[in-house]
Order: sequence, then C-alpha cells, then structure tokens
Amino acid sequence: MDTTPEANLIVHDIRGQICPSTLLFALREVNREQQALKEKGAAIVILTDNRNAIATIPEAVSSMGYATTVEKKDGYYQIEIRARKKRTN
Amino acid sequence: MIKPGILFLITLNLSLGITAGFIMHRADFCVAGMFRDLFLFRRTTMLRSLLLLVVCSIILFDAARQLGIIRLYPFPLLASPALTNIAGGMIFGIGMVLAGGCVVGVLYKMGSGNLLAATAFAGLIIGSGIYAELHPWWVALARKTAFLPGKITLPQALGIDPSTILLPLIIIPCILFFRWVLQGQWPAQAQVEGYVQPWRAAIYLSILGALSYILVGMPFGVTTAYAKMAAYLALPFAPEHVAGLAFFQAVSLKYTAPISALPLQGGAGPVMDAIAVIQFPLIAGIVLGAFFSALLLREFHLYHRVPGRQYASALLGGIVLALGSRMTPGCNIWHLFGGLPILAMQSLLFLAGIFPGAWIGSILLSRFVLPSRQVI
Repeated sequence: MDTTPEANLIVHDIRGQICPSTLLFALREVNREQQALKEKGAAIVILTDNRNAIATIPEAVSSMGYATTVEKKDGYYQIEIRARKKRTN
Repeated sequence: MIKPGILFLITLNLSLGITAGFIMHRADFCVAGMFRDLFLFRRTTMLRSLLLLVVCSIILFDAARQLGIIRLYPFPLLASPALTNIAGGMIFGIGMVLAGGCVVGVLYKMGSGNLLAATAFAGLIIGSGIYAELHPWWVALARKTAFLPGKITLPQALGIDPSTILLPLIIIPCILFFRWVLQGQWPAQAQVEGYVQPWRAAIYLSILGALSYILVGMPFGVTTAYAKMAAYLALPFAPEHVAGLAFFQAVSLKYTAPISALPLQGGAGPVMDAIAVIQFPLIAGIVLGAFFSALLLREFHLYHRVPGRQYASALLGGIVLALGSRMTPGCNIWHLFGGLPILAMQSLLFLAGIFPGAWIGSILLSRFVLPSRQVI
C-alpha cells in the first residue's frame, strides 16, 4: 500500500491477480477506508490489468455511494474511487 | 506429405481459434467467472450472455441440421449418459473457480500475458497425466452408473424429433431476452479499450461454434489435447509406462470428416492423429488470438508479483479442472456451447454438476485464496 498524503490517495497495485481478486480487493478496501473516503475526501486508486474488473468495480461501488473514474495507463487501467457527495469541512 | 483435407482442418481450426481467442479477450468472456460470480456476488450479467449463446447455438445447429448441412447428428465423441457425468461436472466446477478460468478461459488469459493462467495451464497438463493413471478405475465406475445405453440426446431417449422439443424450449429464454432488451439490461458499462459487449461475443461465438460443427464435424473441444500433451511430455521419461496405459491406447474419436470425407480417428495417446490435427491448432489459435488482441491494445504485460497462494490456487485448480474434464468427459465449452444446444444427456448432467461445483469452488476460493491482506 502506498499512501500519498498530499493528494490523499490510497494506491494499490494489484496487477496480474487471479479473478475475482480485483473486485473483492476493491470492495474490501472501500469498506475499510469508508471514513477516509466519506469524511476526508480521500480516494482509493487501484491499478489493474483485469478487463472484467473495469466493468464490475464501478458497478459494485456505485450502489454503495461511490463514483469512479477509469483511466487507461501504459498497458493497464487505473480506477479511482471517491465518495459521490463531497464534504466541505 | 500432408493431405489437403488435413491441411484444411489445421488451417480452419487455427483461424477459428484466433477469432474466438480475440473475441474472448476483448469481452473477457470468462465462463468460469459467470458461474463463480453468481455465487460470490449474485451477479448474473454474464450468465445471461451464456444463455444467449446456448439459445443462438440451438437455433443455428438445428437450422443446419434441418437444411442437411450437418450430417453428424449427434456429433462424434459424445456418448450415452452416466452418473459420472455429474460427478465430473462438479469436480470441473470446483477446479475452474480455483484455476481462475476454464480450460478455454485459461488459454485466452494466458495469451494476454497472465502468468496465473499459464500456471493453471501447467496444472491442466499435470492433471490430465494423473487422470491417465486413474482411467481404468473411473471407466469401470462410469460403466456401472451408465443408463439409457445407445441414447445420446434427450430427443433420442424420448424418441421424438429434436425440433419438437427444442422450439418450445427456447420460447421462455426468448421472452426473457426481449424483457432484458426493454429494461436496457444487455449493454455492460465498461470503460475499457476495445471492449466487445458480452452479448455480442455470445452471438459471435455461437456462429463460430456452428461453423466448427459444419466444417470440422463437431463444435469446439480441446480437452483430449491436454491429455495428449501430458502423454508427449511423459514419453521420454517413461516410454513403456505411457505405452502401457489404457487411456493412451484408446481411440475415442472415429468419424468421417465433412468436406474432405476423410476417415479420421484419434485419442489421447502420443501420436499425431485427428485429435492433434483438430485440437492443437484450436488451442494455439485461442492463445494467439488473445495475444494479438492484447498486443493491439498495448495490454500485453507479464506481472509476476502476485501472492503465492494465488499461484498455488491456479496450479491446484488446473489439476482439479483437468481431472474433472477427463472424468465428465469434456469441458464446459464442449458441453455448454456444443452438447447442450443439441440436448446431449451427458451435457445436461455436466450442467447439473457444474453449479454445485462452482458453488463449492467459490467457498474454497474466498476462504483460502482471497481474503488475506494480500497487498503487494
């Protein structure tokens, strides 16, 4: 795990992992970091090469109140998960 | 010199494989995942595409049969049912979830550079070799639990024309498909480059399956070739032992090829026969197709820094998967894309086994492989 304090990003590189580890991993991290995501405006960033996870992660976390942005990097994808409603405290 | 008919089969299977591998990689059309996600996430999006594939294949296969384009009905390698088909399906279901893909899924994932899939592939060859030792015992069990001798498909067992039962059977799925269209449930939202919608992939794959049935004489099958690879690999170390195993002596395929009318035969033994001519190019094609697809998207990368238990799961899953595929016999692609659309009883029993198998596999996977704090 790599926490970048200035941007408040929690980065996980889980490229190459077995299915459906990517989705389960994302769900677990979202639950664990609930407070940071919802109250501190943090974001979880997941690096993955699993094409299926690009479809399943946004779908799954969307129902939990999170928004995702997907960006293609050099040969892999970066999914950023943030709380949908931004708090301004 | 290679006969033109043989060359035709090699080229054809290679082309079909490349096309299928490309499509499967683009859509991430993972059949193992479809069953697993039903139990792990209650997600049925991908299973719907599988149902669409089966229904499309029913229509295409039966149309081809009625037009007389398909002569071999039911197709070769299918046999009358036995309770061992369910047991094999169950073992197969457990294996595919642990391996992270089925016997074909492993191929397209391996082609895109996935090292876990390559590990599962090694497991598949090892498992096929292990089965060769168990074969006499398993065959005896299969004989004891066999029923309806001489009958391969359900319409044969019922003594009716296939269309009489197939047409009413597809009405309910077709109504469901239409409902899902109205509810907008078909398109999967995936911001992934070069994505092929799974429902489209299902239609394309059913067309490829029908082409294989018409031109090769049977739908996609790859599992006997895994056993053949195991035989070839074991041959230099224990030539006499390999030659003495009943499994490697058996000739399971014996038929007249369409188009060329060549009489062909083959089995799992270490010889270049019809199984080698049909299945090796298909396997190579699927791996190559996925490789091209990943290369074009610049997504071909090898990531080896994966938790050790995932490698263990892939290897063990591959071995179990191979055992299941030999015990059934046949794989999910063979049975679900090929046998189910003609209501082969072996395939129906395999389907009955794969659900509880995938359920057990999902429990094992989430208990032993996934939950740890596997942060690299």
